[in-house]
Amino acid sequence: MTTGPASTEDQLREVLETLASGVRAAPDAYQRVQHEWRRRERRRRLILAALVVLVFTLADAAGLWALNQARNQPHIVFNDPGPARSHLAPTGPETP
Amino acid sequence: MEREAALTRLFESHYTGLLRLAVLLGADDAEDIVAEAFCELHRRWNRLRTADAALPYLRSVVCNLTRMRLRHLQVVRKHAEWSTDLERSAESVALLRDDQKALIDALRQLSVRQREALVLRYWLGLRESDIAAAMSISCGAVKAHTNRGMATLTKIMRERR
Repeated sequence: MTTGPASTEDQLREVLETLASGVRAAPDAYQRVQHEWRRRERRRRLILAALVVLVFTLADAAGLWALNQARNQPHIVFNDPGPARSHLAPTGPETP
Repeated sequence: MEREAALTRLFESHYTGLLRLAVLLGADDAEDIVAEAFCELHRRWNRLRTADAALPYLRSVVCNLTRMRLRHLQVVRKHAEWSTDLERSAESVALLRDDQKALIDALRQLSVRQREALVLRYWLGLRESDIAAAMSISCGAVKAHTNRGMATLTKIMRERR
């Protein structure tokens, strides 16, 4: 009997085939794996939803805090010392 | 829904084959490894280029997870004894002749990569490019692992005689 590479190759094929044929799947394998991938999908969605809620809450809190820091008095946009008179018509008779 | 249906079809047609692949590669928890591969495929389904890419992806995940597991066990092995599914499968081993058992022992002495290359080539009958994709290495590296692995096996078997 030869022990060259060709012989070893054939022998290896035969051995691997024999060993593989002895391996059988469990009857409930599909249910277990399906349950696992669905559980992971639910967990991913839950984490994503929690993250979205967290981001919105933080944004809301930041906005409310910023509004709360603003002064209570009405905001003055123009703060000229006197009223603008250029547009007002003169009221009394003009003195020569 | 489409993803679930496709995964169900893949499971029915390829689960046993992938389980056998994990066992032949030397995994001690082949069922967990294949289950993990299907969960990963479920997660990344939308990123697959085509539906045909699913099986090579599963094969690749099984190879990677088995390799990681074996490397972990090699560290653990220094502290405690462990056995693979193959060693526990007394029924399969009992069917083998003495020379075949010797060949299995020789196969266990190879590096993880060499063993992977030999199983993918001689059991699954894959082409070099497919083996390279499954192992995430180049075709040249596949050739080198296959040749070195086969040379070591031949040498061990010759010495035994």
